[in-house]
Amino acid sequence: MSEPLPAPATGPTPLKATSRRATGARFAVFWGAPPVLWQAAFFLVPLGFLVAMTFWSVKSFRLTPDATLANWTFILNAGFFRNAYVYTFWLSALTALIASVAAFPAAYTLAYKVSPATRRFMIFMLVVPFFTSYPVRIYSTQIFFSPQGIINTVLVPLGLGPLQVLNTPTGTVVGYLVLTLPLVVLLQTFALANVPRILIEAAHNLGCGRLRTIGTVIIPSARIGLIVAGTFAFVLAFGDYVAPTYLGGSRPPTLSILIADQVKSGNNWPRASVVAVMMIMTLMVVMLVMIGLAYGRRKERA
Amino acid sequence: MSMAALRRLLLVAYTVLVFAFIFAPIVSTIVFSFNADRFPSLPWGGFSLQWYEAIFADATIQRGLINSLIVAGVTCVIATFLGFSAAYIDYRYRFLGKSVYLALAALPPTVPVVILGVALLTFEGRVGLSGTLQGIIVGHVVLSTPFAMALVRMRLADLDPDIERAAWNLGASPWATMFGVIVPFCTPAILAAIFLTAAVSFDEFMIAWFVSGVNETLPVRVLAMLQGQVSPRINAIGAIVFGVSITLVVLAQLLLGRMSGRAARKKG
Amino acid sequence: MATPMIELDRVAKHYGNHAAVAEVSFTIDKGEFIALMGPSGCGKTTTLRMIAGLDQPTSGEIRLWGRRLNEDAPWERDAPLVWQSYALFPFLSVRKNVEFGLKQRRLPAPERRKKAEEWMERLGIAGFAERGVDQLSGGQRQRVALARALALEPEMLLLDEPLSALDPHLRVRMQSELVRLHRELGITFICVTHSHSEAFAMADRVVIMNEGRIQQIGAPREIHRRAANRFVAEFVGGNNIFTGTARVEDDGSIALAGPVGTVHAPSPLEGGIVTGAAATLVVPADRIELAAAGTGCGNEVAARVVTVEFVGSTVTVFLETEGGGELHAQRSLHEMENTPLAVGQPVVARWSPQQGFFLPA
Repeated sequence: MSEPLPAPATGPTPLKATSRRATGARFAVFWGAPPVLWQAAFFLVPLGFLVAMTFWSVKSFRLTPDATLANWTFILNAGFFRNAYVYTFWLSALTALIASVAAFPAAYTLAYKVSPATRRFMIFMLVVPFFTSYPVRIYSTQIFFSPQGIINTVLVPLGLGPLQVLNTPTGTVVGYLVLTLPLVVLLQTFALANVPRILIEAAHNLGCGRLRTIGTVIIPSARIGLIVAGTFAFVLAFGDYVAPTYLGGSRPPTLSILIADQVKSGNNWPRASVVAVMMIMTLMVVMLVMIGLAYGRRKERA
Repeated sequence: MSMAALRRLLLVAYTVLVFAFIFAPIVSTIVFSFNADRFPSLPWGGFSLQWYEAIFADATIQRGLINSLIVAGVTCVIATFLGFSAAYIDYRYRFLGKSVYLALAALPPTVPVVILGVALLTFEGRVGLSGTLQGIIVGHVVLSTPFAMALVRMRLADLDPDIERAAWNLGASPWATMFGVIVPFCTPAILAAIFLTAAVSFDEFMIAWFVSGVNETLPVRVLAMLQGQVSPRINAIGAIVFGVSITLVVLAQLLLGRMSGRAARKKG
Repeated sequence: MATPMIELDRVAKHYGNHAAVAEVSFTIDKGEFIALMGPSGCGKTTTLRMIAGLDQPTSGEIRLWGRRLNEDAPWERDAPLVWQSYALFPFLSVRKNVEFGLKQRRLPAPERRKKAEEWMERLGIAGFAERGVDQLSGGQRQRVALARALALEPEMLLLDEPLSALDPHLRVRMQSELVRLHRELGITFICVTHSHSEAFAMADRVVIMNEGRIQQIGAPREIHRRAANRFVAEFVGGNNIFTGTARVEDDGSIALAGPVGTVHAPSPLEGGIVTGAAATLVVPADRIELAAAGTGCGNEVAARVVTVEFVGSTVTVFLETEGGGELHAQRSLHEMENTPLAVGQPVVARWSPQQGFFLPA
């Protein structure tokens, strides 16, 4: 990548202004270079390194630079990878769908049915979970659903239990929801609050009922935000390691569990890198498709 | 009228339910960290500080806390400087490749942390950073710089571009303008960014888990404890982490609130 | 010949294909009050910003006392600007705003304070020295902006639309205050404005610009009495502009057959108007008198009153002739008090031939 050369917004500098231009360039480089150098060195290079490593080999437990496709053919043909890929994708998509549907009435309420002060407070509350240790929250959820946990102590005497959630795909999805629901409610609330009030009033004025207004005015107007919220839910769930490990019991493993296992115990980094690169490519495709879905149809309509 | 009231009631009740789902794990963590019983269940077994005593007696947890504080302390300074710089560059300059520049600065949070963790681990293994606190800091800075950048950029959006030129016009060089005008103007956002990036770092466990080696941070210790049996000590740690993070976020929020309040007054 | 203080020598500023300033040359003497005037987008603000160093000329040279200024950074120049938006530092008190420039010059704190105090006193803002600038009214902010610039005791002061953001009554007060400051300080003022009344009221000389070029430079009187071209005649307002066919009379004066009939005016000094040529005559509206009946001398045009407009103490009467020609006359309210005019009323518009002048072809 070529180094971008900053020039003042005020226009091109004259030819003879050497000292002035040098001062300006020094200033721009001082502020402009550190962020880009840092992110290039510790974000771009490691990711590039990860991609390169997919072509390396492990010879007698030692990582050796190579140009082999063996890791790719191994992983792409391995049944455990295919199963994990389908399973992770399906569970993440399901999470995105459940979170989007479950969040909508709450976001609708926050956007339209409460005072601005309440809304601000609730939005702040929704930020809180991001700064509350996620593993600890998963641990708490684990306790809730454990055989002697709160939920079963309530349900069993009522003859409704015991509920078997831990170590099942349901447990994983519950954990994914713990992770994603606050963000989805937050993003949906922003999306709905940004729908011009006048559009909704116009719909009511034209005799459009409440539910029909939601379906024909609010959701189409807020579509970009709603899709972004769902996409974020998918992205977060797809990369999560904690929920499928501690609530899903690692069985079947998700892609992130495969990576962690390969790196932490299996020590086969090139294969883990293939899984990671597959994940990144999947996420890129999903994000592109969702962006197309969010913005594409709008153009067509306009 | 009563139909509308009923509808509103149902919606509010549902919203409360959603918030209950979101907050139940957090509240129970705090509540059960003070519970005398070993197994966190109803009925409540009586108030006790024994789990806090237990974690403060645990040398690995102490070490983890100190490591976390060091990592968060260094991360927030570097990330805020880098985020401020990137935001200022975006505010001040137009240049070829700017969108690439901004994407590079802003993208890291969209990559799953598990992948960032693996990538950093393999890379840092080569350059001798893995297993060190510096190695964790490097990753946390990558992850939290975009947050700092967003906060400062929002603040700069309120700064009339003429203000900077007015400073030049009164004899202030770009450097003098930076420290006499831009930085003072951005101070609330800079402080908010320091708190926010510290909170992000203090809570991050995935990159740290991959990179840390024997230098565990507190969240990594928690992750390790999760693999063992049920222990109310996790609740106690969770409550402390919650206390620290929320204090940082509330401080950031207060600064941002004062900032936007002032901007609103100015416009009004 | 003494060196002028500021020289703009064929200065141009291009943004891509667009020329904000096409080519501008003029000089400014020490102590002058110069107004750069023109419609928005005429390049007047860009010209001012180039003098301040905030914009770089694409070509040409700006000189200060004969020394090329182009490469000097804005912070190396001694040309403080009073911004249209004031551009006060929002996080500093009034005092700190006024001290800002002095601080950049590394003036010791006690001196800085003394100077700031002096200028705040002088501009009547000493009373709220410790206030934040967001607590001030528009007029007070304007004074802070002026004090901040003048505290540097510069040899020139640049003003960008200094009055445009003020209420009308404040505008008049500030206008006379700027004139007084200019007289007392004896430094050069360069003021950008789109309002000809402001420019004519304050400036010693006015530079009229349009589409990046200078249209005319001169004292307000001169411009008002002798517009250099149609743009200026229209832009400064208050002029009747008649285009028609010229005929050179025996005495050398010119008769113009135009929309309001045939009227007479002296031949321009530079000549150039021949019988049968098209020519444009300008007659200032305030030189046209209105009478009930003709007298037979001077130019006389019979017309009817279309509208009467009252602006301040001036009355503008719009007239239409039998043939559909339009003209307007400006009289003072005082003159009009005794002769009320009704719409539709026939009048005779009369002016001496000497009051009209032809635009250069």
